[in-house]
Amino acid sequence: MSNFEQFYSDFYQSNYTIDNQEEGYSSYRSNENLYGSEKSPLGDQPQADTFIPSEMHLSSQSYYTGQILQPTYSPNTLSYIGYGDSFDDEPPLLEELGINFDHIWQKTLTVLNPMKPADGSIMNETDLTGPIVFCLALGATLLLAGKVHFSYVYGMSAIGCLAMYMLLNLMSNTGVSHGCVASVLGYCLLPIVILSGSAVVFSLQGTLGTLLALLVVGWCSLSASKIFTSALAMEGQQLLIAYPCALLYGLFALLTVF
Amino acid sequence: QVWQAGKRQASRAFSLYANIDILRPYFDVEPAQVRARLLESMIPVKMVNFPQKIAGELYGPLMLVFTLVAILLHGMKTSDTIIREGTLMGTAIGTCFGYWLGVSSFIYFLAYLCNAQITMVQMLSLLGYGLFGHCITLFVTYNIHFHSLFYIFWLGVGGLSTLRMVAVLVSRTVGHTQRLILCGTLAALHMLFLLYLHFAYHKVVEGILDTLEGPNMPPFQRVARDIPVVSNALVNTTAKAAALTL
Repeated sequence: MSNFEQFYSDFYQSNYTIDNQEEGYSSYRSNENLYGSEKSPLGDQPQADTFIPSEMHLSSQSYYTGQILQPTYSPNTLSYIGYGDSFDDEPPLLEELGINFDHIWQKTLTVLNPMKPADGSIMNETDLTGPIVFCLALGATLLLAGKVHFSYVYGMSAIGCLAMYMLLNLMSNTGVSHGCVASVLGYCLLPIVILSGSAVVFSLQGTLGTLLALLVVGWCSLSASKIFTSALAMEGQQLLIAYPCALLYGLFALLTVF
Repeated sequence: QVWQAGKRQASRAFSLYANIDILRPYFDVEPAQVRARLLESMIPVKMVNFPQKIAGELYGPLMLVFTLVAILLHGMKTSDTIIREGTLMGTAIGTCFGYWLGVSSFIYFLAYLCNAQITMVQMLSLLGYGLFGHCITLFVTYNIHFHSLFYIFWLGVGGLSTLRMVAVLVSRTVGHTQRLILCGTLAALHMLFLLYLHFAYHKVVEGILDTLEGPNMPPFQRVARDIPVVSNALVNTTAKAAALTL
């Protein structure tokens, strides 16, 4: 099982995940808190430095040294320790589920600021909690505006993920996994949630609404294509990735406006 | 046990991946290339003696078909079209993909009969880029509702893209009869498709005229319009004015 994780996580063939997971295991062994491992000593930073691509900004380096164990690791680590453990040795619930609020927040900030260059390592872990929260938020804001369109949201996001997965596999040199595509597309749904939130307050069917919708669609597709191109090393083709993303988010905007 | 099931699933997934890999070389494009090809698709080149080069890529055509679907959906939503059996999205996707794949295959079959030198991928690519003219025309005329403007665009933009495709096919076929059959069919289908898309999916003014004149006009099978009673009075005067100008 762990081999599949590494296969799907290594987009740029580095040893980043292996060493981090070993380190995560050792930090878990010493019973550190999840958030305590984020503030781990500066000794972590030089090691993380060597695996992060050089175009990353200095400010974002400290955010990704946090060790988060994937859920599939818990059986392995438990088998090392043994099943007759006491309650204190079990990992905290969030760590076991693989939900790391700090990473979710960092990815959200990356989406909200499309002008800031992203690093490729944020998509090393497939995190679907953020996307699912955003889909539910979109459904909830649509509900507030009087439209019950949960099925459309889920259907369109599923079909959109499948189509983007096929397109990205055809266009990139390294492949992508379903989880990565779903994760990126889900995170970049956030501006559409903001648009549908504003649809509650005023109707979007005028000129102002159309302009706002176009702006939001451009924002979403710019963020999504930025993350995809940095994760898959396809710099010259950002526009080519942005256009299908724009079509997909345009469909969501159509759902929100009408 | 779980590992064996997982292994079987992975091998099935990999075989599916191998099938997709066949299409990989057709998606290897740069943005500058796509832009150049889009502009070229509107410029007919009168080189008849030597087979004209067709770019065999599928990214541009696929994106153009999806754009056409999006434009159709937008047009249907703004004109409140109601489809009785089926969904808006399904109709739009079915129409556009059906046209692209179906007409490409049909023209490829005719090309096989008329001994023209063109492969299936090239035909898909050619017809896909020919939809660029359709996209422009529909995008403009769905938002600005003048019938005369539509006819100008239909002849001008639609005609240009049709001429380009016709010129390419003429350069690749020998014999007058074969050229006539192939190019005539393609031109007719291409122009008629644009006409169909305009009239079947965004006919607000004519729908109003229908209800005003009574049951004299033949009803369209697939779409029906619900005109709200409240705005009828306001709409009466504008429709009569539009009918007079037409």
